[in-house]
Amino acid sequence: MITVNNKEELEWCEGMTVQEVLDEMGYDYPLITVTVNNQLVQQEDYATYEVPDNAEVNVFHLVHGG
Amino acid sequence: MAKAVKSGPKKIDISINGKAVTVTEDTYLLNAIMNAGFNVPTLCNHKDLAPEGACRLCLTEIEANGKRSLVTACNYPVREKIEVFTNTDRIKNHRKTLAEMYLGRWPNVEVIQNLAKICGATDSEKFKSELTDENPKACVLCSHCVRACNSFVVQNVLGFAGRGITRHMTMPFGETDPHCVGCTSCAYVCPTGAIQIADEMNNPADPELIRFHGMRINAMMSTHDKLQNRMREVGTANLVEVMDNYDILPVHNYKFGQHPDTAKIDSGVMKRKYFTQDIADGCWMGCSVSCAKAVDGFELKTGPYKGQRVVVDGPEYETAAGGSNMGCFDLDFIVEFNFYCDTYGIDTISYATTMAFVMEAYEAGIITSEHTGGKELKFGATGEVLECIHELARGEGFGVDVGQGIRRLKEKWSKELGADAKFLQDIGMEVKGLEFSEYVSKESPLQQAGYAMAIKGPQHDESLLVFVDAINNQAPTIEEKAEVLNYFPIFRTWFSLLGQCKLIWNDIVPPDNSKYPPNEAVKIPERVEDFQKFYEGMTGEPLDEEKMLRQSERVFNLQRVMNYYLGYGTREDDMPPLRAVGPATEEEYISRKERYDKQMKEEIGIDPDGKSTREKMDIIREYRYKRYNELVDAVYKKRGWDKNGIPTVERLQELGIDVPEVLAMLKGPEK
Ligand code: SF4
Ligand code: SF4
Ligand code: FES
Repeated sequence: MITVNNKEELEWCEGMTVQEVLDEMGYDYPLITVTVNNQLVQQEDYATYEVPDNAEVNVFHLVHGG
Repeated sequence: MAKAVKSGPKKIDISINGKAVTVTEDTYLLNAIMNAGFNVPTLCNHKDLAPEGACRLCLTEIEANGKRSLVTACNYPVREKIEVFTNTDRIKNHRKTLAEMYLGRWPNVEVIQNLAKICGATDSEKFKSELTDENPKACVLCSHCVRACNSFVVQNVLGFAGRGITRHMTMPFGETDPHCVGCTSCAYVCPTGAIQIADEMNNPADPELIRFHGMRINAMMSTHDKLQNRMREVGTANLVEVMDNYDILPVHNYKFGQHPDTAKIDSGVMKRKYFTQDIADGCWMGCSVSCAKAVDGFELKTGPYKGQRVVVDGPEYETAAGGSNMGCFDLDFIVEFNFYCDTYGIDTISYATTMAFVMEAYEAGIITSEHTGGKELKFGATGEVLECIHELARGEGFGVDVGQGIRRLKEKWSKELGADAKFLQDIGMEVKGLEFSEYVSKESPLQQAGYAMAIKGPQHDESLLVFVDAINNQAPTIEEKAEVLNYFPIFRTWFSLLGQCKLIWNDIVPPDNSKYPPNEAVKIPERVEDFQKFYEGMTGEPLDEEKMLRQSERVFNLQRVMNYYLGYGTREDDMPPLRAVGPATEEEYISRKERYDKQMKEEIGIDPDGKSTREKMDIIREYRYKRYNELVDAVYKKRGWDKNGIPTVERLQELGIDVPEVLAMLKGPEK
């Protein structure tokens, strides 16, 4: 089980990547910052960075717009 | 459930001068070389401009599948496994000859002299000819200026004329082009000083400081907008699909936050079928965000201009989301609605929100076609909405009623039709007499307060905070929320004080913004610094965050005192309708039952089992208003206002605005 933004819980599976977490959560906003256990993950690594079980994932959305 | 997982960019292993490195597919070879710690001389390359491959100084040898070839590294995208050599004899010779030719042509230009040194070219006589230009500020045809004019400010004023040895940089037909906005981007990127700035208008204290920070934003727009919000491509319309995905796009008078038909009105359709112009907004020519869009040759189907082809400015997010709010998922309608609102001088937001309210009242049977002049004003009634706008413009019929806005309609219908005033209050999305703009605030206490406590009424200008708590779960405590609500409205007010655009603050974000902790990152510190430097560059007076907020606080408090004096500035005026804080109808509760039930159990501590929807709605209502009021208390305290939301005399003294005229207004609303 992993926790997203300190509130949502997601079932963990072997080899789960950051991108899979984002897809599962429906997070497709262009301005996000992702940390896994307080470790910053670069956008180009989303598809390869593996999330360990029990991880705290934070997906921080920056507001934009008029 | 199996979901398609997007694959990230491909990684490629290459070697550079024997060193193994991994690069992301499509990285330009020059960047890979630099990142690996090697140097290659360049003239036409510029970090903020798309590469052009013009000077050929960056020539590099590569070997792929056993075949060797020469490529210009600056514009060569890496797509396969290659070996790269930047310093072979063949390349060194080539570079030296090239540098000698440049030196022969422009012997006194400093950048050329430096390049010659790096390339081992010392003989400036070898290629001397009648073309030799002794000017130390000669143009070296690097095209930085041409590219900056195109990509920093989307102007396309500069270009090259002539061929071969007569090639030169120029404006069209060699004349001063009236389209030049004088932004000085071209001069800023020119490596030789060939372009000089003749006039610093408005006498800024430090034009170079302003230029440096302005160019930082221009450069960021030209390199990163396409990866972030695509403001240049589709403007604010990009938010339509974003908000729908996050359940925040208003649908049917803010009952819901998404709809299957949103795909019919999103920015993809606008771009494919409607937008014909990408232009700077009317604020100022040469704006590097260029978020304004236009639809050319649009044939109107209704109203006084029926059958004519017109140009429509927009639609922006708010106008399109007004469409979904009225249940009108039809872009032809939205563009026509946009055109006639503009033409008649009607605000698309207020009108759409009022109409959504009218439609809900119609569907609930509060008004019937008898009151609407025969029009069936159900959600999605596109033709009837347009008819009402035309009536309003002509000053006749039900359209005039709609033009009064939600607050007056609520009064009128409860007085004249005996309608249920409480229900109208619950679903009428207005505060202080102004209609809400187009975001669903139900799951975000920050956005609820951001809207309802806003001085001007519920618009997103003072605080657009819906992601901060609802999605990011930042600021979980009341105290933290109050801090956010104290900071943002005051910070955003500062832009208005200076007449600055807020879009360049948060619509283009430095890629390394994530180095800040979330509560700082949300302020976008690099951009705040840019604004502070604009101020300093203009006035000569340095500005820090504290001083910046102080300037705003004075105005913000003055505005609140004026609100109070005019009868719109107490706690009662800061209260949102139920629809803004939670489900106002059973239909809404049921549509998100899982969410509300879970909250009831976990947050409120009440077991929802065995309770009717009505009972559960009452529990949610009570809980959410209680939470809202606690938040309001905390914010008032932070702002130095009393329990009723009125600034105290001490606060006004502290801000230095305790002049007699202001104190007189504190005596109470004008009768
Ligand atoms: S001043 Fe600006 S608009 Fe004018 S030519 Fe230079 S870059 Fe283009
Ligand atoms: S004017 Fe300056 S920036 Fe433009 S091509 Fe010449 S040297 Fe380059
Ligand atoms: S820097 Fe690559 S061709 Fe000029």
